[in-house]
Amino acid sequence: MTRYLKLSAVAVAALAAGPAWAEFPNDDNITFVIPYGPGGGFDTIVRTYAPALEEALGATVVPENIPGASGTRGGQAVYRANPDGYTIGIFNIPGLTVSEATERDIGFPLGEITWIANLAEEQYAIAVKTDSPIQSVADLCATGQPIKLSDTGVDSTSSITAVISFDILDCPIVNVTGYGGSNDTMIAVMRGEVDATLKPIGSLAKYVESGDLRYIFTLTDSTAIEGVESAADIGHPELAKFTINRVVGGPPNMPADVVTALSDALKVATESAPVQEWASGTGTSLSYLPADATTAKMGDLSTFYAQYKGLLAPK
Amino acid sequence: MGFETLFSAVVELFVGGSILYLLAGVMLGLCFGVIPGLGGTTALALLIPVTYGMDSLDAMYLAGGVMGATSFGGSITAILLNTPGTAPNAATCFDGYPLAQQGKAGLAIGASAAASALGGLIGLFTLLAFIPIAKQVVLTFGPAEFFLLTILGLAAIAVSVRGKLLRGLIAGGVGLIFAFVGSDLISGDIRFTADVDYLWDGIPLVPTLTGMFAIGQMMELALKGGSVAKEGVGSAALTKISGVGAGVWSVFVNWPTLLRGSVIGTVIGAIPGLGGTVASFLAYSSTVQTDRDPDSFGKGNIKGVIAPESANNAKDGGALIPTVAFGIPGSAETALFLAILVLHGMDPGPSILLYNEREIYGLIVALTASAVGASLIGLMLSRWLLLITRIDVGFIVPVVVAISLTGVYVLDGRMADVLLTVVMGLLGYLMIRFDYPRLTLVIALVLGETAERSFHQVQMISDGQALNFMLARPVSVLLLIAIVVTFLLPIGRKALTTRRNRAVSQP
Repeated sequence: MTRYLKLSAVAVAALAAGPAWAEFPNDDNITFVIPYGPGGGFDTIVRTYAPALEEALGATVVPENIPGASGTRGGQAVYRANPDGYTIGIFNIPGLTVSEATERDIGFPLGEITWIANLAEEQYAIAVKTDSPIQSVADLCATGQPIKLSDTGVDSTSSITAVISFDILDCPIVNVTGYGGSNDTMIAVMRGEVDATLKPIGSLAKYVESGDLRYIFTLTDSTAIEGVESAADIGHPELAKFTINRVVGGPPNMPADVVTALSDALKVATESAPVQEWASGTGTSLSYLPADATTAKMGDLSTFYAQYKGLLAPK
Repeated sequence: MGFETLFSAVVELFVGGSILYLLAGVMLGLCFGVIPGLGGTTALALLIPVTYGMDSLDAMYLAGGVMGATSFGGSITAILLNTPGTAPNAATCFDGYPLAQQGKAGLAIGASAAASALGGLIGLFTLLAFIPIAKQVVLTFGPAEFFLLTILGLAAIAVSVRGKLLRGLIAGGVGLIFAFVGSDLISGDIRFTADVDYLWDGIPLVPTLTGMFAIGQMMELALKGGSVAKEGVGSAALTKISGVGAGVWSVFVNWPTLLRGSVIGTVIGAIPGLGGTVASFLAYSSTVQTDRDPDSFGKGNIKGVIAPESANNAKDGGALIPTVAFGIPGSAETALFLAILVLHGMDPGPSILLYNEREIYGLIVALTASAVGASLIGLMLSRWLLLITRIDVGFIVPVVVAISLTGVYVLDGRMADVLLTVVMGLLGYLMIRFDYPRLTLVIALVLGETAERSFHQVQMISDGQALNFMLARPVSVLLLIAIVVTFLLPIGRKALTTRRNRAVSQP
């Protein structure tokens, strides 16, 4: 027993003394937490970035999947870690932002997370079946009955976007949720059981290219796709606020120099050839933001979604 | 069609040394299959990060090797220890284990090997035949059809438990209750979780199944003692282990069973969310229902091994139908296969056959080679495997318990999964003791979620006119008829036997 006590005393002393002699990131591996299982969008972006980040930092980066409870379990693990820069994670934004706005318990205060960088940002569009007579959002809203849309779950970001944006457009919808994945929601449009679907442009692109679906609208503040109406065109540029982000953060109160080191390394990684190549192959829109801009954006998003609390609260 | 691609995938497999990846996949698949708690999805999930640095085609060979081999590996444990190695092998226990107890494990393993290989081949040929019309096939099955298929599955459960209808219904009901724990997929409400956030995502299948079958069965074995093959039963025959050849041959003799199992496997495999457990169970129960002597099942009828084993390999071919059509997964394994493509910088979608033809055909070739290869390897090892049934269970129980609990922990690294496995193990043991069917509970757990979700969807899509909506869809009408027939068949047969008995006794 005394032996263990001595050992742990030595360990504690070593840990306490650690920062005194070593400089970030040289004395440990960096754990990059993915709050979902292997193979999803979050997993892929982290695993693609990991080698480039290793090169930029000169340290080993170990991606670790901590799935469960809609991405909150992984977020909690990052929140509770030491704020030494050796544990960082990717966050489900704005999924967690919305959960917090609707006062759902996510197990940690999102506002306390140290934001390090924004890696990618995706905007939304609405698509219908190629041979559908509907040409615009105005047509869609003029069918005389609530529009049927398809989605994965009510708390998915695209579903939240659909509910709020059609409310802004004053156009009633029935959001048919429960589809297995975003591909299934697009197939539901092809089968004709729903009228349209609102999804990230990158996901819809594949089906538009294959001739199965057709864009009618983009939630952007300028023309994003030639010949397709944008939110600005119909006088609702605020719809461009709806995005899906891949944001990297760490535990609360990380030292500023560590944040800068990580944030700079992520910038280098974003610009590296393998990451750029992967992004163009998969239709991912990379959009790097440094730590301060990311923090400001997260604050903005919280305020933005808080206004729609009433619409989003579980009925 | 991509015959050239198919051909070049075959050539590359043998020329480029890629066959080593396939072999590694097969061996890994067999091991993960044999071990309760570990299955094809675990193996693939663990492999995903490893494939990152590989050529995408080699990654396909590795994945295909694993996918094709696990279900045969799992049947070995099912037959020898009454513990399915993977979920889809649960139905194989019904007749495989009684055969092992009678000292005829060789026969069962031979049949399982041949049925797995041939079922896999039939499934893949069906897939190749369906590639040109895969899109139409996928578009024919919407929420209405998914809902009716789950009802058909539940109906098959209800009538399959012969002579124990009430117990079967109770077990099925408990399974449905379990299925509804967690967040409601439509409304997002959290239900029945007792404030435990582990339950937000529902009661997971793998710990439930491993607990029910592996842990429950080990408790039963430990308390009984002895060895699996009963003392004295054909001990002379056991000393010279045989019957494997006869088992292989039995598959060819019972070709209608093989064919039915494979067709059911392919069709169910193509439906996302149902998967191999339901496929093999439906193959088993339909074989029992249509057999001239249904009472011989559960006591060591070889057809009871052939049907589920052909179905659970054929389902891999079926599960690829939605994949080649739209780049969507038909099973948990194909979801991970698509994840491997994404990790290699590809973006699976409706044009998957256009852009990823090389990988798709590579996977098909790997699956074909693996289904046959795993069975051959299994047959070579069967001499030694059979000895397991003669070892004192005192040696088997601790090993199986330790390995299965570790397996459950490995998948997500959650201690709560291990705890759930132990709880389900106790429940499983009680169900064995009091003679309640465990598979019924598990199938209901699998089907409950899809049933609930697609019912809600049909309600929304049809503006509350669900029945009218279904009656306007030809495939739905066919499924409705199938459900009615499933219920009427046993009643009809009973009436027939009563009349026949009366006719015999009267004159």
